[in-house]
Amino acid sequence: MRITASIDPVTRIEGHLKVDVEIDTVDGVQQVVDAHCVGTLFRGFEKIMEGRDPRDAPNITSRICGVCPTSHGMAAAMTLDSAYGVTPPNIGLMMRNLVHGACFLESHILHFYILSLLDYVKGPAMPPWQPGWDTGRRIDATTEARLQGNYLKALEMRRKCHEMGAIYGGKLPHTPAFIAGGFTAVSTAQNITDFQVLLTEIGDFVEGTLLPDVELVAALYPDYFSIGKGYGNLMSYGVFEQSGGPLFTPGLIEDGVAGVQELEVSRISEQVTYSWYDDITNDKHPSVGETVPEYPKDAGYSWLKAPRYDGTNFECGPLARMKVNGDYAGDVSVMDRHIARSQEAFKLISAMQVWLGAVADGGSGYTPFTLPTTGNGVGLTEAPRGALAHWIDVADSKVSNYQVVTPTCWNCSPRDSAGNRGPLEEALVGTPVAKVDQPVEVLRVIHSVDPCLDCATHVMRPDRKGKVYIIDRSGTRIENE
Amino acid sequence: MNFSRRRFLEYCGVAAGAIGLTPGDLAGLNEALANPSAPEVIWLHGSSCTGCSVSFLNRISDTAPETIVEVVAGAVNLTHHATIMTFAGESCGAVLEHAIKRGNYILVLEGGVPLAFGGHCCITYSYKGEEVTYAAAVSELALHASHVVCAGTCSSFGGIPAAGSNPSRVVSVSEHIGAGTINISGCPVNPNWLVWAVVQLLLGNPVELDEDNRPVALYQQMGGGGGGGGGGTRVWETIHQSCPRKSAYISNRATGFEDTVGKCLVDLGCRGQWTKAKCDSCWNGLEEQANWCIGVNSPCHGCVEPDFPGEQSFFTPYTSGS
Repeated sequence: MRITASIDPVTRIEGHLKVDVEIDTVDGVQQVVDAHCVGTLFRGFEKIMEGRDPRDAPNITSRICGVCPTSHGMAAAMTLDSAYGVTPPNIGLMMRNLVHGACFLESHILHFYILSLLDYVKGPAMPPWQPGWDTGRRIDATTEARLQGNYLKALEMRRKCHEMGAIYGGKLPHTPAFIAGGFTAVSTAQNITDFQVLLTEIGDFVEGTLLPDVELVAALYPDYFSIGKGYGNLMSYGVFEQSGGPLFTPGLIEDGVAGVQELEVSRISEQVTYSWYDDITNDKHPSVGETVPEYPKDAGYSWLKAPRYDGTNFECGPLARMKVNGDYAGDVSVMDRHIARSQEAFKLISAMQVWLGAVADGGSGYTPFTLPTTGNGVGLTEAPRGALAHWIDVADSKVSNYQVVTPTCWNCSPRDSAGNRGPLEEALVGTPVAKVDQPVEVLRVIHSVDPCLDCATHVMRPDRKGKVYIIDRSGTRIENE
Repeated sequence: MNFSRRRFLEYCGVAAGAIGLTPGDLAGLNEALANPSAPEVIWLHGSSCTGCSVSFLNRISDTAPETIVEVVAGAVNLTHHATIMTFAGESCGAVLEHAIKRGNYILVLEGGVPLAFGGHCCITYSYKGEEVTYAAAVSELALHASHVVCAGTCSSFGGIPAAGSNPSRVVSVSEHIGAGTINISGCPVNPNWLVWAVVQLLLGNPVELDEDNRPVALYQQMGGGGGGGGGGTRVWETIHQSCPRKSAYISNRATGFEDTVGKCLVDLGCRGQWTKAKCDSCWNGLEEQANWCIGVNSPCHGCVEPDFPGEQSFFTPYTSGS
C-alpha cells in the first residue's frame, strides 16, 4: 500500500524544511518511491539590500545564515571587489581564507556529529536527545558510548573552530571583518600563536577522531554506499583563492561522462513552475531574473526556486568539490558525502597552515579605492555545503539589485519546469524504509547533503523594469538595450 | 563522558561566589533541578538564520555552567531545539503539545515573526495533518509559558529581516503577542548573556529590565566609575564610553581601513556612542582572551539596538535617530 509520510520539521538542519515521501513496497522491499522537498521559510534578503550602501552587503547578507555566515561575507566581499574593481592585498585574502576555513571546519564537525550521527547512534539519555527515533542495532554498546562521548567533544571542538576564526573575525557567527577591498583585522604575533594552538588541536581532532569515526560508521552501514545517489551530477564554483590557483577548482562532473567540464555561469537558470513565485519569472539567469512571490499557487509547493545548469540538475557540496578537484575517487552516495566532507576538513587543516604563514608579517589587509556610483559585480565561492553566488547592481551609489543563489537551492530544489525532481528528491527515491512512522533512513539521506534552508529560502528581487543583459561565457554581464 | 545535573551543581557550588549565587540560591537551584518536573526550556526558530543557536553552542565561561555541554546536559531541561534534538516530524508537535499541557516552561524564541501570506512564509511544524505557522505557534506557546525569552535582535526587535521594505512583514515577538518579553538582543545573541538570563529565571530571581525589556545587569554599564552596589544615580554607559580606544576619539581617528590599529573608528561608521552593551572582549572565548568587533578594527554596528540595522550605511559616520 502506498503511504505518504510527511517529515515536518526535518530537524538537525539549519532552517525550515519539510519532506514528504511516498513509500511503497517494490520487489518485496518497502522503499521511497517519490519525494517532495518543501522549503517553508521566506525572508526576502535581496529586497532588504535594495537602496542600501553596497558596502553593507557582507554585513547584511552574513545574516542570511548563522551556520555559513562567512560564506556570504566572502561572496559579498568578492562581489563588491568585482563591482568596484579593487584587488585586496594578499594578506587580506589570506585572512578571509583563514576565517572562512575556520567556519568550514566548524560546519563539517557540527554536521557529522551534531546533525548526522544521531541517525546512526542513540543520543545521550536525556532531552533534547530523547525521545529519539529507532536507529537500529548495528553499533555495540561500547562503541555507542564512545561515539556519544565524541559527540559531546565535537560540541566543544566546533566552538573552538569559531574561537579560532574570531581571532581575525572579531566575533562568530556574523563577523564584521569581511569588507570590500579586503579585511579589517591586522595580524599580530600573538594572533598567530593563538591561531596555531587552536589549529593544531582541531587538526588533531579531525585526524584522530572525525576521520576514524566517519570510517567506522561507513563500515557499519556499507549499504549507504548504494543509497542516496540521485542524479550523480556534481558542480563546484571553486573556493579559497591562493597563489598558484584556488584550493578547490571550479568545474562540473556529469554522471556517466568522463572527466571534469568547465563551468560556465551563464548557463544557469532558475525555474519556478513548482515554486511559490509567479510563472512569468520562470527560467531566467539569476542576474536578470525576477522574483514575484505568489502564495498560494496551484502547482507551487516550496519557497525554493529550482536552479538548473543547461536545464540539468546538479548537486553541490564537499563531495562535488573533492571530486571536481580530483581529491576523491569514490562514487556518489550518502556515505561518500560523509567521507568526502571529513577528508575535505583534513585537507583544509594543512592549507590553513600555509595561509597562516602568509599573514605572519602583519600589515594591512585592505586596498583603498574610490567608490564608483554605478557598476555591477558577481562573487562565486563555496559555502561548506556547496556552491554560492551573489550578484549586485549599483546605481546612484546604492544597491539597485541584489541576487543570491545558495547551495541548498540547488540540492533541495523542487521540481523544475520539465517536471524533473530536485537533486535531493531524486536521491531519496529507492531508499529502503523499515518503519514508516519513524523513517530514519530518509533522514540519513537528507542529512547527507547538509541542507541549509536559512540560506535557501530568502530569494526575492524587485522588478527589473525592462533591463536586459547578455551574459558572456565568464559570467560577466553586458547590458543590452 | 560523564555529566549530570549533580555535576552542574558541584560547579555552581565551587563557582558560587564568582557568579553571584548565595547559599539560598544554590539550595533553590538544587531543588529546582532535582525535581523531575523542573521547568522545560523550549526553543523555537522563526524568521531566523540559526546564528543565535550556533552562538548558544559557543557558550564558554569561567563561571558555571562552563560550556554548552554543561548547559544542555546539566543545567537546563531543554526539551525542544530543532538544531540539536534527535527527533523530527510529528514527534515535535507531540513534544510541544505535551509542554503546553504541563505549562510553566521557559520559551526561547529565535527569529522575528513574519506575517506575510498569512504567516505561511514560516512554518514551524506540522501536526495531525495541519501546518502550524511560527506566528500561530508563538501565540499558543507564549500563552502557557512562565517566561518568554527572545534570543537575539530579530525576535527582540525584528532585526535585519524586518529592515528595508520588510518583504515578509516581520514583527518582534512582543509586538505579535502584545505582551512583554525578556529581550537578550544581539546579532547573534551572546551565549553567556542568554544562559545567564535563563539560569536567573530557573532560580526564580527577579530580572530587572530596561525600557527595551533587556536585563539591566547585562546591557547597562554603570556610569561615573560606580561599581554597582546601588545608591548612586544610574547612568547609561555606551560601548564608546568603555572602549579601550576612547582616548583616540579626540585626536586619533581612522580615516580609512588601511590604517586603523589603535584608532577611533567613529568616522568609519562606528555606532559605539549609541550602543549599550558590555561587548568589550566577550565574544568567542574567555574574558581577557576573547574578541570583539572593534578588536579587529571593525566599527560597532549597534547590533543589540532596537533600530539595528537601520537605513544608514555601516560605513559612514552614524547619525542617531535619523
